[in-house]
Amino acid sequence: MHLDLSELSQLAPIFRELFKGFHISRRDPELYAQLSNFQDQYRGLFRALGYELVCDTRGFYYFVPEQAAAQVNKTAQRLSLFTFILVEHLADQGRDPMAVLDGGSLGRDELPSLLEKYRDLFIQAEVQTPDELEEKIMRRMTQLGFASEDNGIYRFLPPMHRFLDVCLSVQQDRDLAASLHSALPLPTPVLIEEEDPQELNKTDDPLDLSPFDESEEDALARAIADEQQEIDA
Amino acid sequence: MIEPKRVLRALAEHWALLEPLCERFDGGTLSLGELRQQLAAQQLDSTPQDITSLLDVWIRLDILVPVAKSPNRFELNAQIHDFLAYLRREHRLGLCLEIEAYLRHLERLAGHIQDAFEIRDGNDLARQLRLLDMRVRDVLKKLDNDEQALVAVAERAKTSDRQIPLRQRYAEVLATWDEYVEPMIQLVNADGAFEQGVRKVETVLLRLLGEQARLGHLVDDDMLLRTHARILEMQTSAQLTLRKARELLLPLREEARRHNAVTRGAALALSVIRRKGLDAVPQAAMPLFTRPQSTFLGNASQVEAYVYALARFEPKPAQFPKAHKSHKGEPQRAPRTVKEMLQRCENALPLPDLMVWLLEQEPEGATDELLYWFSRLSREKRFARARLDRRDYLTREHQVSLRSFALTSSREPSPETTASPVHAS
Repeated sequence: MHLDLSELSQLAPIFRELFKGFHISRRDPELYAQLSNFQDQYRGLFRALGYELVCDTRGFYYFVPEQAAAQVNKTAQRLSLFTFILVEHLADQGRDPMAVLDGGSLGRDELPSLLEKYRDLFIQAEVQTPDELEEKIMRRMTQLGFASEDNGIYRFLPPMHRFLDVCLSVQQDRDLAASLHSALPLPTPVLIEEEDPQELNKTDDPLDLSPFDESEEDALARAIADEQQEIDA
Repeated sequence: MIEPKRVLRALAEHWALLEPLCERFDGGTLSLGELRQQLAAQQLDSTPQDITSLLDVWIRLDILVPVAKSPNRFELNAQIHDFLAYLRREHRLGLCLEIEAYLRHLERLAGHIQDAFEIRDGNDLARQLRLLDMRVRDVLKKLDNDEQALVAVAERAKTSDRQIPLRQRYAEVLATWDEYVEPMIQLVNADGAFEQGVRKVETVLLRLLGEQARLGHLVDDDMLLRTHARILEMQTSAQLTLRKARELLLPLREEARRHNAVTRGAALALSVIRRKGLDAVPQAAMPLFTRPQSTFLGNASQVEAYVYALARFEPKPAQFPKAHKSHKGEPQRAPRTVKEMLQRCENALPLPDLMVWLLEQEPEGATDELLYWFSRLSREKRFARARLDRRDYLTREHQVSLRSFALTSSREPSPETTASPVHAS
């Protein structure tokens, strides 16, 4: 692909923002327009540099981290939790969660009551005070381009769809729904360990009355070895 | 027998009063008191006698009819109501079953046409063909009406209050989809009743044309051809109405469904988290994103020292304070937190020179600690910064040369704001 760097006039700020984990949406009109107009060129260039630029048709761009380095961090968990809480809270109030999270807004003054109502859940995300809620969640959201803040009003931006998608995938997760209705812990993979045949003869149970299949010499040698090991230790 | 002219004249004469009443009647019946109140509000200079005589005229002309078993409640005569709805372009969505019933009737008429032709009864054949033609016109009229009604359903959903829950807002869309669009899809399907009916009538008409050419004319060929053309028009019209219904309502229905799925998903996730903790939400579902990178201030030797310390890390036993022992010597000061420093800095605004302020605040502070605070505080969004000239600053141990900042609150206008990184040497 032929790349004309003079066309990519916003390359430096775009890369700087994306590299920080920021999501570029129409909120940043210049950067967004550049990315929209030269989407293929930017994607090609970033791919060559080892960065995967995701162009979401709902109107935002972001870097997806490398699979090797990709792990769900605390921030992702906190922001997802906040989204779940907000959706439920708004639905409880008879408000339309989609209208708020897809371009709508939330006042800073609503946060303390939200924290109070969902204190048990916020604690799991190490958020206990309104300050922590602002610092660890709302500030992070604005830093990553999920929301913008103006005069105590948080406006949610199109990248919030990433969290709404989480709600959808949870809803489609039949295993999760099934596990909720059982008292058993969530299924975890069980690996079969191969046992050493020697280990099969060992027993630590003092009440185990099964006969030892061991000669006297062997028993003596084992006792000496054990004693030696203890002295060494 | 009421003379049609008088009805039409009354409708024309009282249109200004009737039109707003139609909207009220769309919502249900009205009591005599409500009717009088409504009319009085529209005709401020009328006396109660005027209103009584006006209502009397409408009742005599059968424009207003009493509701069965409630003589004091009134409604618009259904025929008049339909006519007024047509004039006002207010369309009520019909039932898919009505169209199906019309189609069954068309099939029966096709049978009668065939019978009439077989017994060579020209008059009956012409009559049945006229009936068929009128029935097809009924279907066309109904499809057109339904299409307008569907547009209105979609418009109502889109323009209703955004604050009310989506489920409530789109209730009509969802009901329309289930009760009209879905059965219409079945009906207009290739093997549905609509296609079958149309095909049957079409076959009869085409066969008739051929037979007439062979056996002689019982009716005019043009009549057969016109009816055939109208049937094809009806078929196209049904497909177009259905396509339009899908285009209008499907996105809204999907939006409502998605909304329900999101709300349900969030509730499910929260109950899982409540019972099994935050890690129970499937990791695969979580969005992955690069962590925000902070601009780290540190020179090569600092990084080297940090890595060296990590490599040579040795755990030390922690000395916990004992309650019964008093602390000897100078009490150890707890390290400053970012929040604390930000607060202190904010209280001290405006700062003519950040580094000077830091040295005043922490005269005993280590150089790297001071530089960390310098970097952290100068990058804080709450503050607007203006770059100063390079100069030397004396810490407890070092002489530092850097370009400091003057800080003001970011809410106040600042002479020069810059986002360039800090350079220290």
